[in-house]
Amino acid sequence: MNFSVFETDKNGLQKFYEETIAKNETYAPVEKFGKYDFKKVSKLSDCDPDSPISLTMSVKPLFFPRSSKVMKYEENREGTTITETDEDPLAGKRVILGVKHCDARGLQVLDMVYKWDYIDTDYQKRRENTVIVSTRCDKADVNCFCTSLDYDVENSDAHDIRIINGLNGKIYIQAVTEKGDEFLKGVSSSQFAVSSSELAGDESAKHYKAFESSFRLKMNYKEINERLQKSFESPDFDLGAKNCISCNTCAFICPTCHCFKISDEKIKDTGVRYKSYDSCNNGYFTLMAGGHNPRPVKYRRWRQRAMHKFVYYKERFGMNLCVGCGHCAISCPVNISIFDVVTQVAN
Amino acid sequence: MEQLLVPAICKIDQIIDETPDIRTYRLKFREPEMFETFKWLPGQFVEFSLLGRGECTFCISSSGTRPGYFDCSIKKAGVVTADIHSMLDEGMDVGIRGPYGNWFPVDEIKGKNLLFVGGGIGLAPLRSMIQYCIDNRNDYKDFTILYGARTSKDICYKEEIEEWKNNPSLKVILTIDKPEETWKSNVGVVPKILEEVVKPSIENTKVITCGPPIMIKYTLLSLDKLGFAPKDVITTLEMKMQCGLGKCGRCNIGSTYVCKDGPVFTYEQLKALPDEF
Repeated sequence: MNFSVFETDKNGLQKFYEETIAKNETYAPVEKFGKYDFKKVSKLSDCDPDSPISLTMSVKPLFFPRSSKVMKYEENREGTTITETDEDPLAGKRVILGVKHCDARGLQVLDMVYKWDYIDTDYQKRRENTVIVSTRCDKADVNCFCTSLDYDVENSDAHDIRIINGLNGKIYIQAVTEKGDEFLKGVSSSQFAVSSSELAGDESAKHYKAFESSFRLKMNYKEINERLQKSFESPDFDLGAKNCISCNTCAFICPTCHCFKISDEKIKDTGVRYKSYDSCNNGYFTLMAGGHNPRPVKYRRWRQRAMHKFVYYKERFGMNLCVGCGHCAISCPVNISIFDVVTQVAN
Repeated sequence: MEQLLVPAICKIDQIIDETPDIRTYRLKFREPEMFETFKWLPGQFVEFSLLGRGECTFCISSSGTRPGYFDCSIKKAGVVTADIHSMLDEGMDVGIRGPYGNWFPVDEIKGKNLLFVGGGIGLAPLRSMIQYCIDNRNDYKDFTILYGARTSKDICYKEEIEEWKNNPSLKVILTIDKPEETWKSNVGVVPKILEEVVKPSIENTKVITCGPPIMIKYTLLSLDKLGFAPKDVITTLEMKMQCGLGKCGRCNIGSTYVCKDGPVFTYEQLKALPDEF
């Protein structure tokens, strides 16, 4: 892998960000009421690519919007006419700064479900048109457990460019994919020293070691996955269920949750069809006409949530549907952590 | 994705009252050339939109061997189906996406004896298969249809069943749950009639069954008792669906997407799924 690597310092990184923002349609974490959400930015002072993981919303809505219009329709004497929505579903070329490693992995996981069988072309297009610049956290949050899962956080290829804060005080900007390499080649490199991928790799490893030692939560993923496969009847799923108020926050802020609902809104003769986030924690999620519901109680819905994340998706697509970002635990109003639920069930 | 969620417009050609709460909607595309790409096999389903009210999943209850139209038989059961019954008239527009899902293994079961076991609205997917088999009669051997309903009024497709009865190459057995004065045929629930009256031979036979969950449960037990191997019993599964594309996550049972891997499963496959029914 001989992709471009730049060695620079804090000032150089600022310059890299500034140039990126000036030349491209750029999205980055923007603070509002103490939380960061990915927004389009026009200058670096508006955003913070080093926003803390615990306060930064997932980048998922830029690829899979919280709610999108599917179509409009109109009824008149001739019958029904369906028209396209005025929303432009396809993003142009863009760059996203300050994506966390776990969040970028989330997109890689989502790719699997969107490209099997029927292909979600809008999602695909947005993915293709986006260069993801990620920053590895220096320190884990209390709810983080990304290093315990089924992916290599140190050498992740879920992003196109990674920023490594070397322990030697240097900062490395390294392309990880061809798309990232192409992007870095377009940056006015005269201001940066070109470095080797070996050196950047070494510094990344040192940084990773320090990062890894800061984790409070650790699990043996392989063991948990194997034990969960045999735990369908476990009463311990109740740990998730007993306090859950079915508010669905965990699903809406999750980088990998992708369930959605289709709903119609019609006023007089015109209507709009929407596709919006939904969650398996909703009581009506699987409620069928006639009243039959395979998951009528919270315990069963929590079992579905935990098993889908840690067993079913892995079985089907080869990736764990949880990336260990800890956002569900941070945002849960009653402090349920999926980490606690799966470890308790498995043990 | 959004484009995949946009339905095509169909006109309701005819509405047939089957029972007090089941109606068959015969649909034709407003642009007839749509039929060139809209090809389906028995067991597949469509997403049926009553625009403004919502979208529902229904199996296609007619066979692709009878081109130019397709049927959806709809039982008044929930919010949207009640609206469909009360709001739609002949000539009105509905939205259709599909066909989705897998189908009955029409080729693999060639040369077999077929036993259809249906209950209530469960005859709808079977009807598509029965029509398909009648239109390809030489591909299949003995042909038995056992159909049960709660009362004689609840029997679906009454006229068509008469036709089947008059067809010498089909054996049709009807039953209702409780005795009625004018009813001359069998009385009793489907599994009971299956064991006591039909007494099917397992020799070279495939069973295709669909009905309400409680009927399926006891029918599977009866078939087991009669000696049918789970791989020879084929059924279609009911599960909440919305996108039909294997994306929205509603129909997940374990790692299976009922809308893509199903809705047609053998009893053997069903046994391997997590017990969520």
